Amino acid sequence: MHNPSPLIPYPATITKIVDETGDVKTFTVEFDDPEVMERFGNKPGQVAELSVFGEGEATISITSSPTRGKFLEFSVRRVGRLTSVLHQMEVGQKIGVRGPYGNWFPYEMMKGKDLFFIGGGIALAPLRSLIDFVLSEQYRKDYGKVEILYGARSYNDLCFKSDLFERWPKCPNTKVYTTIDRPEEGWTGHVGFVPNYVEEVNPSPENKIAIICGPPIMIKFTLAVMEKLGFSDEQIITTLEMKMKCCIGKCGRCNIGSKFVCVDGPVFSLAQLKQLPPEF
Amino acid sequence: MDARVINKGQLPELLDRLAKDYALFAPVREEETVTLFKKVAGAKEVALDYTNSDVSPKGCLFPQTEKTFSYIYTGDSLQINKNEDVQNTVIFGARPCDVRSILSLDPVFEGKFVDDYYAARRQNTVIIGLSCNKVLSTCFCNAFNSGPCDGTGSDLLLTDLGDKYYVEVNTDKGKSFVEAYGQYFASQGAEQLAKAKEELAKTLEGQFIRQVDLGGVKEVLDENFELPYWDKVFKKCLGCGICTYVCPTCHCFDIFDFTTGDFTGERFRCWDSCMFPDFTLMAGGHNPRPTKKERVRNRFMHKLKYHLDRYNIAGCVGCGRCIAKCPVNIDITAIIKDLKEVGQNA
Repeated sequence: MHNPSPLIPYPATITKIVDETGDVKTFTVEFDDPEVMERFGNKPGQVAELSVFGEGEATISITSSPTRGKFLEFSVRRVGRLTSVLHQMEVGQKIGVRGPYGNWFPYEMMKGKDLFFIGGGIALAPLRSLIDFVLSEQYRKDYGKVEILYGARSYNDLCFKSDLFERWPKCPNTKVYTTIDRPEEGWTGHVGFVPNYVEEVNPSPENKIAIICGPPIMIKFTLAVMEKLGFSDEQIITTLEMKMKCCIGKCGRCNIGSKFVCVDGPVFSLAQLKQLPPEF
Repeated sequence: MDARVINKGQLPELLDRLAKDYALFAPVREEETVTLFKKVAGAKEVALDYTNSDVSPKGCLFPQTEKTFSYIYTGDSLQINKNEDVQNTVIFGARPCDVRSILSLDPVFEGKFVDDYYAARRQNTVIIGLSCNKVLSTCFCNAFNSGPCDGTGSDLLLTDLGDKYYVEVNTDKGKSFVEAYGQYFASQGAEQLAKAKEELAKTLEGQFIRQVDLGGVKEVLDENFELPYWDKVFKKCLGCGICTYVCPTCHCFDIFDFTTGDFTGERFRCWDSCMFPDFTLMAGGHNPRPTKKERVRNRFMHKLKYHLDRYNIAGCVGCGRCIAKCPVNIDITAIIKDLKEVGQNA
């Protein structure tokens, strides 16, 4: 079945829901027509439009790697009307999905290099698709050391706990650093903000790509640290969040200068971002 | 180029026939003052004594509100039915600037993801342009190498020359159309009328009050995103969005669901405006264009730079509607002039 129009979603069913934090849930979604998944062809870093019928659409990054199976995962924070309705939905209910949209992390260019992921809060969601891609059995040999540094306000605000504490640390040549903003009972790990922790870990820029996503303030301070550590603009990759609606470059709301984030992004190197007006 | 003649007396009959054979969109006067393009049932509804319609014919290809699909969701099954609302269409009487605006919209709706709603309409539409007989004080299409008698983009261009229309056949689509309605299109006398049209065009060229020179404006904007100038301009703006609604090249839209029953609903897209504060407001509260300053800047940057950078065609056609309709007299031609001066001092 070919999609009759880029604005029309494919019917899909929620097959699993994981409570990540108090306001973030990860939804596993399977297309009703398995052929759609065969053709979907999403790459790490791309986004999709989720339809909650009666409410409309929201652009959500695909957090699952295509290497993991014939499903899509979306980690969604409850922040507005549509996401509140989505959070009330149950396994077995139907939503719509169209996509995949946007560009993807330059995983070909990253081959042979060490990767240093830096994420804050819900913004680990888009990075997770690439983390699982490079840690997959199929591709692990193509990449060097993988380090993941992730922070949230508190333990309860850490997304993907089973990935962080069980799955990823067991992968070869992989290290996971986690931090929370303030001390709390029972937490024996690192305490402090992400940018400071990056400075403490002190990653060498040699043959390394840093992939960063987080709240704007975290990104701003982290970039200053990366610069101090000697990372060049080409070695820093990020993915932007803008309000996207049609996701096919028509509705006009996600422009940064003459670029539309939904088709030209959401992934940009810092070198590319510096060419754009500072409007994101 | 092929040229023909229509006797004015025969036009009502032609329009009546077209209304039967096609979805015929033509200028209509509503409530006696507002001219806009609407689907008409015949010649009687058509108002050709206008200089520039209040609302452009953009909506004939990209409707202000458009159903994209309907759905039936019973819990077990979800069925989505695309809205297929494409008819063979004629847009009659579009002014040269508005026809040019369609050429600016084409690359937006085509490109990597073809917007099949627009594309299907575009493909099935014959555009019959109509030269202007007067230049308004707000007109500046001449700044874009166009003019009141410019046929660019029209399948046919009609020029009103008294008791006859001179008809230029500009495309193959136009040629087939003229052949199909051959009885209305005479060949005789066309050569004479060509001269009369040329003279009219020359006369009209002299009627432009605004002499707008775009030279250097884009270069100023290329080099300067932050200009203190924007701190001044935005203060007048009310954020009403009328400039974007009347603009023939603005293409922004929003997407809404409308429930029609417990298990049924429809999805629509509707024109939207980058002048509105919630246009870029995200659910988490972040807004990359939080004040009118950023929004006003974005609109003018879009018209004078971004559209050109992205599609290699201007995002403004000089129709002057945004000048005529702005309640606080924000004037894009004054901004063009100012930007050049500001650029010299930047």
